Amino acid sequence: MSYENKVMQLKQMLGKKKTDVKEKPVFQKPDKPVYIAKWQEAGLAVVENDFGVLFKRQVEYPLQYKHGHYELGLFYKALEKWQSTGAEHPYLIDIDEEVLFFDTETTGLKGVGTNIFLLGLLEPTDKSFILNQYVLADPSNEAALLFESKFWQHSKTVVSYNGKSFDWPQLETRWTLNQQFLPKLRVQKQIDLLHSSKRIWKNNLERMKLTQVEEEKLGFKRKGDIPGFLAPIIYADAVKSGDATNLMKVLYHNEWDLLSLVTLYIHSTNLLLENDLKEAATTYTNIGKWYGDLKQQQQSKQILVNVTNEFDDEEAGLAYYFLAFQHKRNRRYEEARHSFEKALKVLKSREKLKVLEQLAILHEHHFKEFKQALFYAEEGLRITSSSTLFKKDQQVKKLEEWKKRYTRIEKKLGK
Amino acid sequence: MVLSKKRTIDELLQEWQYDEELKQNIIHWQTLEAKPAHYSPFPQSLHPSIQKALEARGIGQLYTHQREAFDFAQEGKSFTAVTPTASGKSLCYHLPVLQKILEDPSSRAIYLFPTKALAQDQKADLNELIELMGEEILSYTYDGDTAPAIRQKIRKAGHIVMTNPDMLHSGILPHHTKWVSLFENLKYIVIDELHTYKGVFGSHVAHVIRRLKRICAFYGSDPIFICTSATIKNPKELAEKLTNSKHELIANSGAPVGKKTFLFYNPPIIHPTFGVRRSSILEVRDLATRLYEAGIQSIVFAKSRVRVEMLVTYLKSLTKNKIKDESIRGYRGGYLPTERRAIEKGLRNGTIQVVVSTNALELGVDIGQLQACIMTGYPGNIASAWQQAGRAGRRQDSALIIYVANSTALDQYVVQNPNYLLGSSPEEALINPENILILMDHLKCAAFELPFSMTDGYGEFEVQQLLEFLQDEGVLVKTSSQWYWMSERFPAHEISLRSASQENVVIIDQSIPAGTKVIGEMDTYSAMTLLHEEAIYLHQGTQFQVEKLDWEEKKAYVREVDVDYFTDANLAVELKVLNEDKSAKYKTATVSYGDISLLAIPTIFKKIRFQTHENIGSGKIHIPPLEMHTNATWMSFDLPENWSEEMLTDALTGAAYAISSFIPLYLQCDRNDLTVVPQVKSVHNEKPTLFVYDSYPGGIGLSERVYDILVPILEQTIKHVRNCPCQTGCPSCIGAQDSLNESKNKVLKVLSILLSEIE
Repeated sequence: MSYENKVMQLKQMLGKKKTDVKEKPVFQKPDKPVYIAKWQEAGLAVVENDFGVLFKRQVEYPLQYKHGHYELGLFYKALEKWQSTGAEHPYLIDIDEEVLFFDTETTGLKGVGTNIFLLGLLEPTDKSFILNQYVLADPSNEAALLFESKFWQHSKTVVSYNGKSFDWPQLETRWTLNQQFLPKLRVQKQIDLLHSSKRIWKNNLERMKLTQVEEEKLGFKRKGDIPGFLAPIIYADAVKSGDATNLMKVLYHNEWDLLSLVTLYIHSTNLLLENDLKEAATTYTNIGKWYGDLKQQQQSKQILVNVTNEFDDEEAGLAYYFLAFQHKRNRRYEEARHSFEKALKVLKSREKLKVLEQLAILHEHHFKEFKQALFYAEEGLRITSSSTLFKKDQQVKKLEEWKKRYTRIEKKLGK
Repeated sequence: MVLSKKRTIDELLQEWQYDEELKQNIIHWQTLEAKPAHYSPFPQSLHPSIQKALEARGIGQLYTHQREAFDFAQEGKSFTAVTPTASGKSLCYHLPVLQKILEDPSSRAIYLFPTKALAQDQKADLNELIELMGEEILSYTYDGDTAPAIRQKIRKAGHIVMTNPDMLHSGILPHHTKWVSLFENLKYIVIDELHTYKGVFGSHVAHVIRRLKRICAFYGSDPIFICTSATIKNPKELAEKLTNSKHELIANSGAPVGKKTFLFYNPPIIHPTFGVRRSSILEVRDLATRLYEAGIQSIVFAKSRVRVEMLVTYLKSLTKNKIKDESIRGYRGGYLPTERRAIEKGLRNGTIQVVVSTNALELGVDIGQLQACIMTGYPGNIASAWQQAGRAGRRQDSALIIYVANSTALDQYVVQNPNYLLGSSPEEALINPENILILMDHLKCAAFELPFSMTDGYGEFEVQQLLEFLQDEGVLVKTSSQWYWMSERFPAHEISLRSASQENVVIIDQSIPAGTKVIGEMDTYSAMTLLHEEAIYLHQGTQFQVEKLDWEEKKAYVREVDVDYFTDANLAVELKVLNEDKSAKYKTATVSYGDISLLAIPTIFKKIRFQTHENIGSGKIHIPPLEMHTNATWMSFDLPENWSEEMLTDALTGAAYAISSFIPLYLQCDRNDLTVVPQVKSVHNEKPTLFVYDSYPGGIGLSERVYDILVPILEQTIKHVRNCPCQTGCPSCIGAQDSLNESKNKVLKVLSILLSEIE
């Protein structure tokens, strides 16, 4: 017996404050599920590691593989575009970053009782894209699945759709439950394409479901796809019955999700960097606004001006609106007035009221054209009082503001 | 009107000695002498910053119970401290918890309060103490109102997390991986107001705590429990059952008690034949007016919100000629913290002189100490009565407590027998974690939170077979070594801790079409008689009519109305005995305890005019019957000779009324927690039978206790009915009677038959 062991043994005999001796529990490798052979028949490979078993499916795609409008290889072109424009943007991926497209399927929506049963990882390499799908063999083999993801080993750029608030926190939860045995989960850079899609297609797409984006923007329509909400039931059934036939459909579903992430990234990059106006005015207006919010005024202005030049006034209303605010911020009041006036003709509801407010301000404070200012204030007052946009107390407050403005301008007019 | 003149309690009582009009209604007059404080020095080991903070508050030594608490905690023992109002109970847990955190800043504690409001009150107090200590200790409340932005910080860095059982149940335990630093370092679990965890709620919370302990064990912590309780008969037993851990008991408080005078006041009889007394509300109004005019700061307790509103309105007429006078205030549940602060402050600086409250103030909300307390009616049990009485009594001053009886049986009993309240030990608080329905609900949550191994138990329960059952239900899967949750459902959301029935009916106010809002919830069983279509539903003193009841969706749509009637619904009840666990046979009677199934069928409702109580209309109720399994104790006997079934019906109905009034004398429960139902010809043995059953599915252990204490309950009931001054039965004994008949004697006969057999 080694000296250390002996000391340890003596220490235990001492029997003092037992709670202080926190022994690390020994990992007991779980048994393999009985249905291994059947799941293999369905098309899954078995992987065994120190923590148990898991199932795996691997597919390799050549760079020329076309998913909807785009070949996967165009992803590298997209990276080059970011590189060559030298733009700064949260969605920029550097050419030497290691990228991993990431999507999971789970047995529920929240809480510790929700398992991740499928980890889908799509990795771009020089010659191809490699898809690895890891499937939970059964809940007692969870550590094996997590370990195989290698998220304890590498730190990459993880590209997902709603992964920032769902998939990744879920993975963290699972990791915490297995923290006694697994090496630490490492922090990964996150790029969430749901967020960018919301910015780009606000008021353009009704819903931001990935399947809808695919159909309307990426030129991809799924055939024989299972709806995502069935996934938990299908997995539970596969574990209970030992039959993985239907489970494979969930894997295809996950595979499509991942492929679409690649083309969505390509498509979004093109929209953000190339002002070629293949989409509706709203899209580019959104993008212009986004650059504005990122404090990249130059880029923002260029895109918005482009919208006002290329689309008719009807469609460019919002672009004028955002442009006007930029002009005002840069003290180009005349241009601001012009843009607000353009916007006023088109915009409705809340934006229209904001435009009226701005025009009233400009005319009152900068141009000292009180008659005109009064006209806008009157209009604002009229619309606010008949509007159904506001809650009661909100409306009262707004009316108050308008009245104050109106009487002040009246005074200045010497009425 | 008497000219107002300030007087002390003692001076006022002196006057009342000679007030013949008042004196004839005072049945009993008793003074409890003052008790001095008992102190212990600060413990040697007490951290200097804590000592500094206490001294800054003017505390130079501890009361004996506070010291005892500190010492138990240092020995690593869980304990329960029984502490009357205003005895410095919070130091019983603050001291050990703060000490531990100062010794080891990674330490964590959970404080559990029965309601959100109490947690928020206590947070203010604790933070003040921490500030005086000048230490970096973070304490937060964590509940539905907590801003999402600081939740993350609380989870990672909060030393003391103050929350309520509901939040723990559905907001913390099912997400325990987000609380790793809390669970790994949890040293103390503080359960304040232990006595509120009784009945269904207590049984649920017992399971929430078992789940909590299971999660602690997973993260390697083994926290100590500290409970504080008002005076109940079985604090140690309740704590041990609730936490499934052994507890030490601190029974004696070292806090001083001032002189207390109790007056037992019975409103005069105004209709001797029917035994009708003057309304207690009016009596209370007059008594409170006397106190107000004597300049005595008082609290008036009333049982319902409506009564509180009535009293406030009456009393405010005293101040109607003064502008912006705030000296009389109401205080109900549902007030905002800022409003409460204002009332508390007003009480402290004397701008508020009378506060009228529901029993919301029974709980430990700190309003300081007042001089006098009036109870409008008996609050239902001794423990509550003492808590309410405890609101009066400043350290050195005399305190006055006036109990004004209603005309109900229990109230009349208490006022006639002052020793019951002053002398006997308070009731037991019962919980029943074994209730299989409650247990199964929480077993699901537990399985969701952490898998069960093939050898795991759950709390004190052997559950492998139950897990198998859940597997058959399809929510668990069994792997080679463990049971795992496998369902998209989130089980915690399917359970409400505050009721045993799974589903509640949501009450939606559609008075303003554009602004419909949810104003309340009600369990399905009560909803059958209170929320049927056309029912008049009272909410915070406002009348609503139920316009539509969507029973499938469990939604009741109501609209505000102003009508001069209320509705009263009939429920036909069929009882079937499923299983007899215990049974005792006598010559002609049998007493049994076991499982029953109950079919409740709502039949008709009546519209009854206020004041006159005349029936002005009726209608059918269209709600499907509700089936419920529960526990019951039942007594069967032979039909007395020469009795018709009709005679028996009246007698049994009266007997059931009388018995149900007296059960709360023995068990700390609401009158509605147990139901007594007469059956002239019971289905299972065709004999006249009285059933006493738990009103909640699965039972909460109340009827089982009734089986054990049936003899004293019957004795008490007979004694009271016999001694009731009415001639033929009244609301104070066997319930209001339609006509002058022999009902009272018949009831006594039935009760006597039963008692003579069982004794």
